[in-house]
Amino acid sequence: MVMGETQPTARDSLSLELRRGALVLAVLVELRHEEYGYSLKKLLSEKGLEIDEGTLYPLLRRLESQGLLKSAWRVEDGRPRRYYRANAQGEKLAKELAAEWRKLAGVIGKLIG
Amino acid sequence: MDIIDRYAHEVGQYLPPRLRADVEAELRSLLTDSVEEKALLGGVAADDELAAKVLREFGAPKDVAARYAPEPQYVIGPRLYPVYLMALKVMLPILAAIVLALAVAGRFQEPGQPPSLAVVVRATGRFFWSALVNLGIMTLVFALVERAIRQRESAGGAFDPAKLPPVNDPDKISYFGRIFALYVIALLVLAFNFFPGWVAIFVFHGSEGTVYPLLTPDFKRYLPLLNTWWLMAVMLNLAILRQGRWTRTTRWADLALEVFNAVILLLIVTGPPVFRYDVLIKVVLRWFLIFSAIKACVMLYRLVRRRPAEPWART
Repeated sequence: MVMGETQPTARDSLSLELRRGALVLAVLVELRHEEYGYSLKKLLSEKGLEIDEGTLYPLLRRLESQGLLKSAWRVEDGRPRRYYRANAQGEKLAKELAAEWRKLAGVIGKLIG
Repeated sequence: MDIIDRYAHEVGQYLPPRLRADVEAELRSLLTDSVEEKALLGGVAADDELAAKVLREFGAPKDVAARYAPEPQYVIGPRLYPVYLMALKVMLPILAAIVLALAVAGRFQEPGQPPSLAVVVRATGRFFWSALVNLGIMTLVFALVERAIRQRESAGGAFDPAKLPPVNDPDKISYFGRIFALYVIALLVLAFNFFPGWVAIFVFHGSEGTVYPLLTPDFKRYLPLLNTWWLMAVMLNLAILRQGRWTRTTRWADLALEVFNAVILLLIVTGPPVFRYDVLIKVVLRWFLIFSAIKACVMLYRLVRRRPAEPWART
């Protein structure tokens, strides 16, 4: 679904909700290395996780305000860019979420059959 | 790209001031990256048309802002709250100064008397009472305005990036100006219709006071005209707030109201006595009439020459 297009269907909303939790984990894992918003979007996309920019960028700000990411402005290719990276707390949480994810995936896998 | 600047600016308008500049700068950078990448992949120009497509996918500014600062429940939102605080900061010292001036004037009536505790207590009581009444009226006005703005935003229809206002918008409204106007109108309607005794000069002698009302019963002849003017002014202010910007129509309506105001003043000044100190008060009203006529001329000039209605509201 493209954000802001039309009224989302129930499937779109549920699918979005399902992905939302996984998204935090994906972002924290990828941000073990420094990235700026658009490069992170491309990185996730290349690995098969498509995400709306309108969802990703505010998420980065929220994770930063929660003390999980650190950020810094730098000028690259003549353009100021805000680079993000997981801090120690963010990396610790990423490990915990990854363990949670594996456990959940195992359970759901068994349920689905 | 101009359209990206306008978009980032518009998103910023829905955000709390502490986030605004930073989020706007980041959005400009990210959206420019996105447009340039799409242009490269598609072999097309990175122009406003492509940018508009990217912005449509990104979402309407208020939706994007809500993702940055999800604060859906409030009586007075982040756009109006700083104005509300500023209004209180202006109102409270003025009230305190008035109460202090009245108390000091009261002491001059009885020069031999030392300041008594009763006078201080009464003055403090008057201050808190007036502050409470004014706070109530002001909060009510702001809550109504917030509601009008939210109704406008929820009835916005499909988002069209081409209709984004420019960053230095000449039709931008001053929320403070509109709210102050509504607040003053609320006080005037209350005083002239229900408490004409409030339109008076108050003289205090120590802890006692004497009230000298300014209006005679004959003043009632002008009430239908004044109420019509106030009603039209309230409707115009709410319409401007709901539209969010000045339009040619609302500017002409505002000018017409100013002319109407001048006509009412002229009728009062040239009419039969309706005040207790008629000659003195009409001298003051003549100055109001001159000010109103000059203001109408300035408004007409700004309208015809397409100058901003409220230059102080520009960002």
